[in-house]
Amino acid sequence: MLLPLPTVGPDPSMSDARAPECPLDDAAALRRQLDACRDELAALRQEQATFAHGISHDLRAPLRAIESFSALVAADATLAAATRSHVERVRAAAARMDGLIVALLELSRVSRAELQAQRVELGLLAEWSVAELREAEPGRDARIEVDPGLYVLGDERLLKLLLEQLLGNAWKFSRERDCVQIQVSGERAGGRLQLAVRDSGCGFDMRYSERLFQPFQRLHGPEQGGGHGLGLAIAQRIVERHGGRLHARALPAAGSEFGFDLPAAADA
Amino acid sequence: MSTDRMPDERPARANAHREILLVEDNPDDIELTRIAFGEAKIANELTVVRDGAEALDYLFARGDHAGRDPHQLPSIVLLDLNLPKVDGREVLQAIRDNPVTRSLPVVVMTTSAEPFDVEASYALGVNSYIQKPVDFERFVWAVKQVGLYWLVLNQPRDSA
Repeated sequence: MLLPLPTVGPDPSMSDARAPECPLDDAAALRRQLDACRDELAALRQEQATFAHGISHDLRAPLRAIESFSALVAADATLAAATRSHVERVRAAAARMDGLIVALLELSRVSRAELQAQRVELGLLAEWSVAELREAEPGRDARIEVDPGLYVLGDERLLKLLLEQLLGNAWKFSRERDCVQIQVSGERAGGRLQLAVRDSGCGFDMRYSERLFQPFQRLHGPEQGGGHGLGLAIAQRIVERHGGRLHARALPAAGSEFGFDLPAAADA
Repeated sequence: MSTDRMPDERPARANAHREILLVEDNPDDIELTRIAFGEAKIANELTVVRDGAEALDYLFARGDHAGRDPHQLPSIVLLDLNLPKVDGREVLQAIRDNPVTRSLPVVVMTTSAEPFDVEASYALGVNSYIQKPVDFERFVWAVKQVGLYWLVLNQPRDSA
């Protein structure tokens, strides 16, 4: 049986759904039920891992054959222009599918990875992600402002991935602007750090803001920078794993703002 | 590109002429690996075995490969993980458990980059773990790097 894709939402807590059937006065029965739920969850996680492994290997192997043999056909210098164009389309489609598989695996991994919480400076991760974006597109003029001292308590690998997604989006959707402008800021609110990533890109229609975070939902076509529709689902999942919530807001003067909260770490 | 050429004054490595053992069940991948080695100008003979059981029969000179000299080891083993009969991890384990093959360079070349697979392979003593890129040019590049490193640069242990 294939597992459905991990849904965006808090960690599955099957005990909630079953609570009405529980004999509340019987602690032992409750504990047994909790154990059963825990076992079921572990089994589901295991099945998800197996499924991810299957995707990783068994879907990519034929994809590699499609891409590679098309590349070999395209290398034929005597190919007619129309044929070459068709083969190149096959290759481009294979590359898109590979991107989709990578993102699906990432979404699944993000949902089941064990959190390794440590003190992380988010600003550094933001600078790092921007450096990668600059490297991929060196001709692009970009102005990035990052607040100093954005210390959070979280999983560094996942938080890097989160910033990659958010900054990558900000970058992509600023392609019509002369200059990419991104601002990363944060404000302490009790034990949490309330963060915001703002860009001056093309923004989005607020009527669809809830759809942004659902897997495979796109508000932009490929010409506008739209991708596989999993990036923000991954980002939301990462924030949720840290007990927070990611939300989006279109800025009145064009551009968007992604706000999220993470556990704050001590400043020093 | 001149940097891609093998240096002329390279020491005579025992590896330079020895075969490469490819353990791979997928015919497409076998063909692509052959083409990639060709494009990378790696002339070592490529011996292909189609599952983990045959890989072990070949290395330990038993079964269908009983006539082979078990001390004639390949220069390198390119190992897929998901194989019929005996899977790649078990092959790796058997190679590391046998004193004759213990030091044999084994490079896992597989489609998966699941942390679980990477971890298991290193725990079993793999020398290197390479995810086969979907993009063909990158695959050729990866094969070329593997060839340069293991067949030219690396000094293998003298085999008995």
